[in-house]
Amino acid sequence: MSTPVVDPRGLRFAAAITSAVLAIVLVTHSPVREVVLAGQLAVFAVGAVGSPSASPYGWLFRTLVRPRIGPPTHTEDSRPPQFAQLVGLVFTVVALVGFVTGATALGLVATALALVAALLNAATGFCLGCELYLTSRKLARVLN
Amino acid sequence: MMISMTGAYVLVAAVLLAGVIAVGLRWKNGRFTGATGPGESPVATLTPADLGAALGERATLVQFSSAFCSPCRATRVIVNDVAGRVEGVRAIEIDVESHLQLAEREKVMRTPTVFVLDATGRVVRRASGLPTRDQVLAAVADALGPSA
Repeated sequence: MSTPVVDPRGLRFAAAITSAVLAIVLVTHSPVREVVLAGQLAVFAVGAVGSPSASPYGWLFRTLVRPRIGPPTHTEDSRPPQFAQLVGLVFTVVALVGFVTGATALGLVATALALVAALLNAATGFCLGCELYLTSRKLARVLN
Repeated sequence: MMISMTGAYVLVAAVLLAGVIAVGLRWKNGRFTGATGPGESPVATLTPADLGAALGERATLVQFSSAFCSPCRATRVIVNDVAGRVEGVRAIEIDVESHLQLAEREKVMRTPTVFVLDATGRVVRRASGLPTRDQVLAAVADALGPSA
């Protein structure tokens, strides 16, 4: 295999947990919400820098879920989901900065947008990085 | 107050937004559109030179793919399946980044994008996003014409 691959069911599982965590961030008060958000930020960071399977949610999937459901029928290129983790990281950094500096509206909106992306991925397998890829490549060519 | 009310409203709004986007994507993905009757503006024609391969005898399925395209794999499976089932239909896959001019000329904005060409290479139908097999079969039937 030339490209690194992941079990797509693990990705959906991780996106579902991410959605739940971000929902908790939205409905809790300080300081719980900042602590939970910081935790999710760390998870995104690990997934973006390492790979989605390095993330704690990936570990949970492999330990708890996968033994019960057997091997995947197909695997996916892991680079788009890795990019999605990076997008999630950016949004959670902005959100955390918003909450910590008192710009609560910014914190809520940034968290909500990350939640929308995670929900879409968990429920429909929607790949945000995939949709953005061509446009970003076009931009890169225009700028060079 | 145990729960942040503002946060709860934002959560509901986010879930609704995700729902709206999901419905929009479901509507859009695999929806084949294209010029049908006579008297419409001229449609594009793809040649073997454009594609780097010969056209199918009766129709051609052209899939535009790219790196970073999770749905492209599943689309390829469906497109190859339909080409295998229908006599005289060939499947060709094009990497957008090694066919930039073609992709730009044909205004391919998203991958996967699937074109259905008739026997002369005229683009009869096109769709973006992952299609179902039935959507592809119906589009191919359109390209084969009323005699199909």
